[in-house]
Amino acid sequence: MLRWKYSRPLLALLLIVLAIAPMFTSLPLGKPGLQQTMAVAFIWGALALTYDLLFGFTGLLSFGHALYFATGVYVSCILINNEIVSWWLAAIIATVASGLLAALVGAASLRTTGITFAMVTLAFGEAGHVIVGRNFFNLTGGENGIALNADFVPQFWIGVFNTKFIYWTALLALIITYLVIWWVTESSAGRVFAALRDNEQRVQVLGLDTQRFKLLSFVISGTLAGMLGFVMLIAAGSAAPRFAESTVTIALLLMVVIGGAVTRWGAVLGGIFYSFASTRMQDLTQNDSLESIPEWIAGPIAEPALLLGLIFIFIVMFAPGGLSGAYYRLRMKALARKHS
Amino acid sequence: MDTFILIGITGIGLGALYFLVASGLSLIYGLMGVLNFAHGSFLSVGAFVGYWVASQLGPDVNMPDFILAMIVGGLAAGGFALLIEQLLITRLYDRHIDQALVTVGVSLVVGAVLGGWFGNDLIMFPTPLWFLTAVNIGGAMIPADRIVYIATAVLLLIANWALLKFTRIGLIIRAGVENRNMVNALGINVRRAFSTVFFLGGFAAGVGGVLVSVYSNGVSPLIAGSYLIYGFIVVVIGGMGSVPGSFLAAMLIGVIRQFANYYVTGLGDFVVVILLAGVLLIRPQGLLGKVRA
Amino acid sequence: MNALSVKDLHVKINESHILHGVTFEVPTNKVTALLGRNGVGKSTTLRTIMGFYEGTGSVELNGKQILGMQTHKIVQSGVAFVPEDREVFASLTVKENLSLAARSKDSADAYKFVYDLFPELDTRAAQQAGSLSGGQQQMVAIARALLNKNEILLVDEPTKGLAPKLVTEVAEALTKVAQHSTMLLVEQNLALVKRVAQHVIVMDQGRVVYQGGPENLNDDSWVHQMLGVSGGHK
Repeated sequence: MLRWKYSRPLLALLLIVLAIAPMFTSLPLGKPGLQQTMAVAFIWGALALTYDLLFGFTGLLSFGHALYFATGVYVSCILINNEIVSWWLAAIIATVASGLLAALVGAASLRTTGITFAMVTLAFGEAGHVIVGRNFFNLTGGENGIALNADFVPQFWIGVFNTKFIYWTALLALIITYLVIWWVTESSAGRVFAALRDNEQRVQVLGLDTQRFKLLSFVISGTLAGMLGFVMLIAAGSAAPRFAESTVTIALLLMVVIGGAVTRWGAVLGGIFYSFASTRMQDLTQNDSLESIPEWIAGPIAEPALLLGLIFIFIVMFAPGGLSGAYYRLRMKALARKHS
Repeated sequence: MDTFILIGITGIGLGALYFLVASGLSLIYGLMGVLNFAHGSFLSVGAFVGYWVASQLGPDVNMPDFILAMIVGGLAAGGFALLIEQLLITRLYDRHIDQALVTVGVSLVVGAVLGGWFGNDLIMFPTPLWFLTAVNIGGAMIPADRIVYIATAVLLLIANWALLKFTRIGLIIRAGVENRNMVNALGINVRRAFSTVFFLGGFAAGVGGVLVSVYSNGVSPLIAGSYLIYGFIVVVIGGMGSVPGSFLAAMLIGVIRQFANYYVTGLGDFVVVILLAGVLLIRPQGLLGKVRA
Repeated sequence: MNALSVKDLHVKINESHILHGVTFEVPTNKVTALLGRNGVGKSTTLRTIMGFYEGTGSVELNGKQILGMQTHKIVQSGVAFVPEDREVFASLTVKENLSLAARSKDSADAYKFVYDLFPELDTRAAQQAGSLSGGQQQMVAIARALLNKNEILLVDEPTKGLAPKLVTEVAEALTKVAQHSTMLLVEQNLALVKRVAQHVIVMDQGRVVYQGGPENLNDDSWVHQMLGVSGGHK
């Protein structure tokens, strides 16, 4: 009853609109600029959802999620640039590699819990960041990363006028990610994840191996992040150390909390909103409209982190369920009024 | 041999900086269970306030001026920490994950404000000229500023020990780190100790911020991030809630990092991170930490 | 007026309804024993009085409502607590454990009473509490509760896990303490209870099933029915 009966049809309609819109060049979404922004926003939305599976659903506060995302980006880039395999095989290998890495790191990290677990994941994440940043084995390109060699990638992704294909790829990736995570969380394994978040002891008492379920959540989350890494490679055109930074994981945390940790669509919304807002705010700083505001206000406002940080603090303090939590609270109030 | 001494002492100097950040983090987590991601902001606040003081005292800064800058920077950072604790942390009492999240928010906001006001580029920090000279220790030429870091860290360690051992609030903190509920059960409002711990942690981080700015050849909001991460690593390896543990771990990590970087540039960070993972998996409570009740 | 008056106390912990309307009186200057099988809610009752758990109903300390107050304020109102498992601070010395507990400046008399009761605490003042034996830690735990002016002492299974000789020592100490104070004592050791208690409350499944004098403790069939034990101590 909590779901509004029109929400599913409207969502389907929205998806159709989003899918068709790029074909009309006179509409905003027909322009490559917005298409690129939205493509990146879709990727972040999907990535936020993978983090939500880990944190929002299973209650595992990981600070090293960027590692698997970055693995996807770098592995596919290196494989493609060096012509080791074709692009689609590279995508698959990168995804599997991320999953395997998640399995290894997860098996080690999940022997700890809580804050210690957060620190271990942070450590592994940082190790990954250091590896790609320092250009070990001369493979990872160091500080500047590696530009994707456009010759080895299908033509329909290359060039400004083909931005809409990147847009569609990102949208498709978001839909796939959403479906996979929806399936996982609705399955019986998904129920265990939620139970783990709320009370691990009770799950153990039921005779279930909590380690295995946590690891499963960790690996699924990491694998999908790896796949999204490949998509980001296509969208960004290069692999760069910034994809491995702990700030990425912190950003995902923000997205999930702002959107609402316990709901799937909340996390996606949080990711899209955050990405969109960051990009737009960066454009704004190059804009002249800020000139009339005194320097000491304009300076900080130009930094996206200010507004996002303030929103984040506000939500944590006063609206812990995030945007989706607020939505459901309003919905419950509306339902209560209707029935009284 | 003198290379060995040089690397060793510069490593300890670096460790001293890590300790200044970590000591506050350790007590804040040990007593309050708060994973304080805003600690890096305390460092930045201290650094920028200290910079302002130092630049007011003229381009030629002598040692008393510098010490004043450190103290004022520390007080400003401590005051800011207290503000955050009273406004935000107390309202989220016992909601540990939310407390950690709110400190993440604070770090973003402070970073944005400082970056907006001062820009992200390094701004030279006025320092006494003799910091740039070298001191001969055992045949090795040690940059004098390292001595200052080590002296400050040792002073802080002693002051911290004295506070914990000889004052009532120190007694409450030590007991609270071990068993917070029982302190309440003795009729003591343990939450009053929280404010003290936050203030002192902020002060130490602020002083650390001034010194870090000297070490990094300038102040910038961007420096705090890596020191925060290292601060956490030190606290975890040393043991949550143990200030001596943080000291030990900080020295160890500083030295290891310098040695690793000497042999292969950039290896230092990697080795430290692996060390962290290793310690966590073998001895999760850290070197001197207790398994929390 | 009774020192402690509990009415219709309901407590839920993690969705388990533990206390179902507990009602009892603790008379002043007497020792009241709180008895019952394991798991019936005796410790939960004490801990709720201490403010560790939330509940509905009423808990009055000499007429003053303390249910819902913060723990440290409840203690400052005159409730002293000797917890199950002692919970002394292992990293602090014996002296530090005691001085932490003493809230007022002029506790010289209290200290004298405590050192008369447990001379070992004086001789071992500088020893780390973590290195003490179970019995010695119990002495610290009891001493801590005696260093301030109290309206009532809540004591939770003080002889648990102690060797018989130590049980006797603790029993003697409690008897001496009982002469000057109001005590609510949770204890499985019936011999001790028979020695010190003037008033008995029995709980079962989160409710009070008996309140009255200790005479029935000599009746083995009553004891067996109420407490599931065959007299003597567990």
